[in-house]
Amino acid sequence: MAAVDATTDPAIRAVDLRKTFGAIHAVDGITFELQAGRIYGLLGPNGSGKTTLIRLLTGLARPSGGEAWVLGVRMPSRANLARVGYMTQSDGIYAELTSRENARFFGALYGVTDAAAADEALAVVDLADRRDDLSGQLSGGLRRRLSLACALVHRPPVLFLDEPTVGVDPALRVQFWEHFRRLAAGGTTIVVSSHVMDEADRCDELLFMRDGKVIARGSGAELRARAGTTDLEQAFLRFSGDAGTIPAQTGTAAS
Amino acid sequence: MSRRRVVALWRRLVQELRRDHRSMALLFVAPVVLTGLLAFVLREQQPATVDAVIVNQDAGQAGAKVATSLASGIEADGGSATSGDSEAVAEAALVDGSASVVVVIPADFSTALAGGGQPTLTVITLGLEASADGSQVAGVQKALAGALASALPSGGARIPTISHGTIYGSGESDLVDNLAPVYLGFFAYFFVYILTGVSFLRERVGGTLERLLATPVARGEIVLGYSLGFGLFATLQCAVLLGWTLLDLQVPAIGPLPAFSFGLAVPVAGSPLLAYLVVLLLALGAVSLGILLSTFARTELQVIQFIPLVIVPQALLAGVLFPVSSLPAILQPISAILPLTYAVNGLREVIIAGADLSTRALQVDLLVLAGFAVLFAALAGLTIRREIA
Repeated sequence: MAAVDATTDPAIRAVDLRKTFGAIHAVDGITFELQAGRIYGLLGPNGSGKTTLIRLLTGLARPSGGEAWVLGVRMPSRANLARVGYMTQSDGIYAELTSRENARFFGALYGVTDAAAADEALAVVDLADRRDDLSGQLSGGLRRRLSLACALVHRPPVLFLDEPTVGVDPALRVQFWEHFRRLAAGGTTIVVSSHVMDEADRCDELLFMRDGKVIARGSGAELRARAGTTDLEQAFLRFSGDAGTIPAQTGTAAS
Repeated sequence: MSRRRVVALWRRLVQELRRDHRSMALLFVAPVVLTGLLAFVLREQQPATVDAVIVNQDAGQAGAKVATSLASGIEADGGSATSGDSEAVAEAALVDGSASVVVVIPADFSTALAGGGQPTLTVITLGLEASADGSQVAGVQKALAGALASALPSGGARIPTISHGTIYGSGESDLVDNLAPVYLGFFAYFFVYILTGVSFLRERVGGTLERLLATPVARGEIVLGYSLGFGLFATLQCAVLLGWTLLDLQVPAIGPLPAFSFGLAVPVAGSPLLAYLVVLLLALGAVSLGILLSTFARTELQVIQFIPLVIVPQALLAGVLFPVSSLPAILQPISAILPLTYAVNGLREVIIAGADLSTRALQVDLLVLAGFAVLFAALAGLTIRREIA
């Protein structure tokens, strides 16, 4: 009798998702469901398939096998992209435009008709006072903020952030995470990729990735407990099955 | 000065360039291929086929003799010759393309010859392409030399002079007047291509294209938006260049400044707006071509590297430097698939011949240019894939 329940229906669903480039299995059979209003961290070393997974979920890449669903729509779907925000690893903003012009441009592409939306997105990332500056003249951290604003301008219910805090100083990083937390509290589903483990605890749930597979999933505390370690980095190495290599690097005999 | 540092720099450059196969090819292969093409075009030029209409207005004997032996001379060279009743009829044949040159033997030819004077023959060509016209006149001259020897055994001392007239353009048209239609098309094509190629490459390399494609934008919308954006600048460029070409502003002497004229003062027979339309269609094609070719470039340098491949052959084969009719036979089909060929033709028809929208040849040029613009836009759209990696 109940209508579709937004709180229990998964916002994002992957079903045996695969992407191969020649002999390389960049994404190798990933299946999961992500719930609305939570922050998920994709954690793994470079080349573990995080970006490819995000590109499959946003429909920027076509899967070699399996299915990607966002908000009940099978990706790739051009129309569904209006409900998805994507902050790419590179800033992906136009250096010759001002911050405001950038935000308005992406807003227009997302079909935002509200003229104030661009300014609001800039205010969210504390760029309101720099909105008339050319974005090419902003510092690296400010450009990251602008890049985030451009991904938020259409208030998407699903947000993909590919290494959003790379090159961002610690103070700004704290601000970023406060934004993310506020957005999630408002019902936004956020998927953050990172290879920085100390950010991981800010996520509601973590997905450890390695060689195109999700090797473990759970909250930071759960994963630590299961690995029997207090350190997330150690936990990751335990799950990927080569924890033993760490002591060897110190030069002493493996314990 | 450290030898080690200089050597390090030198070595790094060699290492870098060795891996850039395209630059290597450009450095060594392109000059050979392009000069080979140039040599081929120059050496294997098709002799102009002379299809003459000879109008003999002279009632005397000499005129008839010259007409007959000129006709057989032209035919001996592989051309054709017919006799025309009047200059007007002959010129009509020139305009509709059934003849390539008209030779008029004037009414006073025999008398001038008998009186020991210097008779004059009038050779009339179309006047659209100076170099094509030149080879027609040369063809007639060559046949005439033989004709005179047989028709007028004693005429050696009194070789008739040839006066060259054209249907289109004034008799005083100079090299610039002839070049104007060519460079109008060439510049529009060239600059719009570079502008679009480089800026679209920056979209691809700078990550903004990835981001663009993460929005609900359609590929067709991107191509159309680019066409409108750069189309605007192509339009402005064309307006400035066309204005500068046509302008003939006489500035009178003011104080110590001598009088001078401003602008190239090229006479335009047709509507400047039509010339504009031709250039705009060409430029729209160039926008899409820039997007298309940016797919195959990884750096801005590589976009520039396409110039010898895309632009130079067009200069050789599109009737810019040499008339298409004089190209080696196996290259002629290539010129038929180059957009610049049609643009240059169309511009010549409008600027020199005063063609309007009812002119069949111009209609064909406009349609083909529009077809190229649509084709390139479709291909450009195909290269903008959501899937880049």
